[in-house]
Amino acid sequence: MADTVAVERRAKASGPVTGGSRTTERKRREARAAYLFLAPWFVGLFVITIGPILASLYLSFTDYSLLEEAKWVGFDNYVKMFTEDPRFVSSLKVTTIYVVVSVPLQLAFALALALVLDRGLRGLPIYRSIFYLPSLLGGSVAIAILWRKVFGAEGLVNAVLGVFGIQGPGWVSDPDYALGTLILLHVWTFGAPMIIFLAGLRQIPSSYYEAASVDGAGRLRQFRSITLPLLTPIIFFNLVLEVIKSFQSFTQSFIVSNGSGGPADSTLFYTLYLYLKGFKNYDMGYAAAMAWVLLLIIAGLTGVNFLASKYWVFYGDSK
Amino acid sequence: MSSGKKMWSARVGGALLSAALLATTAACGGGSGDSADGKVKLRFSYWGSDSRQKLTEQVIKKFEEKNPTIDVEGEFSDWSSYYESLSTKVAGGDAPDVMTIEIKGLREYAGRGILADLAGKVATSDLDAKVLGTGALDGKQYAVPSGANAFALVANTAAVEKAGQKAPDDATWTWDDYLGLAAKITEGSGGKVYGTQYTFNSAYLTIFAAQRGEKFFDGNKIGVTPETLKAWWGNFQKLIQTKGSPDAAKSAEVDANSPDQSLLGTGTAAFGMWWSNQLGTLSKASGQELTLYRLPKAKGATTSGMFLQPAMYYTTSAKTEHAAEAAKFIDFLVNDPDAGAILLSDRGLPVNSKVLEAVKSKLPPADVKTLEFMDKIRPELVDAVVPPKGASGVEDILKRYSEEVLFGRMTPDDAAQKFLTEANAAIAG
Amino acid sequence: MATPSRPVPVLFRPLPKGGRLLKHLLLIGFGLVMLYPLLWMVSSSLKPEELIFRQPGLWPSEVTLDNYVDGWTALKHPFGYYLWNSAVVTALSVVANLVACSLAAYAFARLGFPLKKLWFAVMLGTIMLPHHVVIVPQYIMFSKLGLINTIWPLVMPKILATDAFFVFLMVQFIRTLPRELDEAAEIDGAGYWRTFYRVVMPLCLPALATTAIFTFIWTWNDFLSQLLYLNNPDNFTVPVALRTFLDSSGESSWGPMFAMSIVALGPIFGFFLAGQKYLIRGVATTGLK
Repeated sequence: MADTVAVERRAKASGPVTGGSRTTERKRREARAAYLFLAPWFVGLFVITIGPILASLYLSFTDYSLLEEAKWVGFDNYVKMFTEDPRFVSSLKVTTIYVVVSVPLQLAFALALALVLDRGLRGLPIYRSIFYLPSLLGGSVAIAILWRKVFGAEGLVNAVLGVFGIQGPGWVSDPDYALGTLILLHVWTFGAPMIIFLAGLRQIPSSYYEAASVDGAGRLRQFRSITLPLLTPIIFFNLVLEVIKSFQSFTQSFIVSNGSGGPADSTLFYTLYLYLKGFKNYDMGYAAAMAWVLLLIIAGLTGVNFLASKYWVFYGDSK
Repeated sequence: MSSGKKMWSARVGGALLSAALLATTAACGGGSGDSADGKVKLRFSYWGSDSRQKLTEQVIKKFEEKNPTIDVEGEFSDWSSYYESLSTKVAGGDAPDVMTIEIKGLREYAGRGILADLAGKVATSDLDAKVLGTGALDGKQYAVPSGANAFALVANTAAVEKAGQKAPDDATWTWDDYLGLAAKITEGSGGKVYGTQYTFNSAYLTIFAAQRGEKFFDGNKIGVTPETLKAWWGNFQKLIQTKGSPDAAKSAEVDANSPDQSLLGTGTAAFGMWWSNQLGTLSKASGQELTLYRLPKAKGATTSGMFLQPAMYYTTSAKTEHAAEAAKFIDFLVNDPDAGAILLSDRGLPVNSKVLEAVKSKLPPADVKTLEFMDKIRPELVDAVVPPKGASGVEDILKRYSEEVLFGRMTPDDAAQKFLTEANAAIAG
Repeated sequence: MATPSRPVPVLFRPLPKGGRLLKHLLLIGFGLVMLYPLLWMVSSSLKPEELIFRQPGLWPSEVTLDNYVDGWTALKHPFGYYLWNSAVVTALSVVANLVACSLAAYAFARLGFPLKKLWFAVMLGTIMLPHHVVIVPQYIMFSKLGLINTIWPLVMPKILATDAFFVFLMVQFIRTLPRELDEAAEIDGAGYWRTFYRVVMPLCLPALATTAIFTFIWTWNDFLSQLLYLNNPDNFTVPVALRTFLDSSGESSWGPMFAMSIVALGPIFGFFLAGQKYLIRGVATTGLK
């Protein structure tokens, strides 16, 4: 993504520009190197990735039960989705709420803890490991059982609330609370973005801070004028990826609701519905169509993210 | 530059090399076709847990002893990902030669030409005709049952008595008796033990509807009326009101659990409805002596509505290159007493009368009880119905609308109409 | 980090004593919440099996190691066999991802070439499609290639940098580095390869560590593709083996499942502890001069 400006800067830096031919020769050399570096990726793209993706695009225009040959049906799946499938609409709604609430919360949490756990205290490696634990365990079957125990009507959470005289609901079994609980769980597994933030903090050359210290900048100033700006590419990465991943959230709802999206569809994530359509109702054509609609939604949002990033993300390579 | 490159390429090369080595060694155990030693190789897919895997490995070994020219390779996964991986294999033109499926998958697979007709290839004369009949669709025997279960009421009689109540007479009891008793048990135990754990299992509705002269699946349509649905939901509502069952939220919670985590399994309810083969698990989990009862009846009902359902079916792929060997393997599994002696009731109580006779003495106590129960209800049984395509979706739809009703988010009238529309659409295809 | 002769930057100076204590207390309290699931799993794995659900509390009334013994031996092979299978798949994936993704990331972050923005968008696009709909086409592809029950369908995508997450991750990290570094190296006469290998990569150690840690964990826990592509019980990996303790409709071996889950956590946790050293080692400032 290094824009052309950067490329030109490079060209300038390499010496006085004497003529167009040298620059083009340079560019050609650089492009050749780029393609060499990208060779494995290109092979992977065309050999492994693109085929199945295009296949799913084709399948989205078919009636495909997995067990029989696919039959071309044109836009039927897409039309059906928007005109006669209330569950599609409700799954989209559930997922949107989930993304909008949990992504900012999780990222804020991850960033705050990364700052706390970065340095300046004894025993930080231990804290970091402990805080990362939930993310390690996140998808395992054992944890699914624990969730139902902790958030059950007679579970740990309600036992604690009971001490304060509050009668809590069934946090995962009451349709009014189940989604909220899943959001909480998502925030709780902030380990991955936290690790990435930690790595990002370490990427910032300490000489910047030294220089600022010499200038007499305080703790808060250093954070605002060094840490935050230099961390923006990483914040941006986490934002983009968390949006993508949250829209595709599947495992949490799948294990907590036993694969049903229940109670009463309150945790029916988009991808879970797609999965049920494809593998349980033998309607893979429809599932593929849903997948492509989701792709368009995510791509749109990611596009917006990239456009907006011009205003707040600062790269070390284009000051 | 060159020194760096060499290092990298050496590393990548090393990784590739070891991957290749592993790939070739792994390939010996996988893929399809015949082994190098001229043996026919059969792939056999099934689901289950470690204990079933062990038994299956044993039974395969036995089969290979008797048929030295055939090599059977078990492919198995846990239940929740079974159909996902099986469908993927079938879609990839990579269907196992012998596939285990259950009744809801039967029409999905048979109806799409995936399965081969086994009539005349597997001896079935000793099998229970009623159960065997469910494996025949459109005049073709696509599937051979491994064993049978009944959907029954499982009771912890000690808990009933401890709550100061008398165990019911299950030959005559009605739904009202059952609901009343459940409420009294909760009350009598001081709320420590619930009367019953309710379930949205469609087998319950099937039986309930049959007692009212309706079929859950009537061909390619849902045969239950809105009135029946409302009456059925009425049972749940009454249980919640009278505290015979926990409230909707807690019930939704336990409904999601496996038998060993159920109320009955944890000793916190006196009744529960389960498949008869789950008696062993429930007994072990609760540490109590449990008893099987008939489901209660509607007043004036002429039938119990209960039925024997095949626990699983053995089927063969229509595309298998080894149809004869695959049939032979199934024949061995259902007809050979040696196989029966290993598997016992792992895949349901045997439906082969001769095998059953031979292994009876080896069955664990819970299975002996189940057997006695089945013999007792046999004269009252109705035929099991093979659900149409799309039926596994109907199960989810039923559960969802039941939850809507019990959480008070929808009126029973409304939910009944919506259920019928959606369920009918799901199986219309 | 900072050379001792220089003043320690304010941000890295230790907090006053009271503040530190408070911070520790908060972290410990919070840590207990994070630790609870693990403690619960350990406690469950030490309970006699029939008590796991009847006594759901944290403190076991009876302690036994039976579940570990049973779990280790319950399956067709001893559990160590599955650990080894997982270790092979995971180790190859980590190495492959590190090499392939960093190569691609360098090109995207630092080099100019035609259609770069398009290719970058395509790369991001590949992770936007829910993977459930590509499972089947991908399976068909690997099946046609005769690679079912080999390690290839699991490792080949990593060798070929198909995981855009990591490519994008490293692109972002490389882009935080000042461009002057490359330019300085170039003036010294270094080619692209040398700049990549000698200048950029050493400065990306935190990103590489992140990639290694995540690849390790995600591969180690990945269930579905390992079930599909290694479905012969002799090729089972840990996540697949763990599921075989469970039977949602019948009798599950909960005790052994908890015990082996704890065992299976060992390697990931160990790898995380080892990896985080590199994660936090920080950028060698000397590289800047």
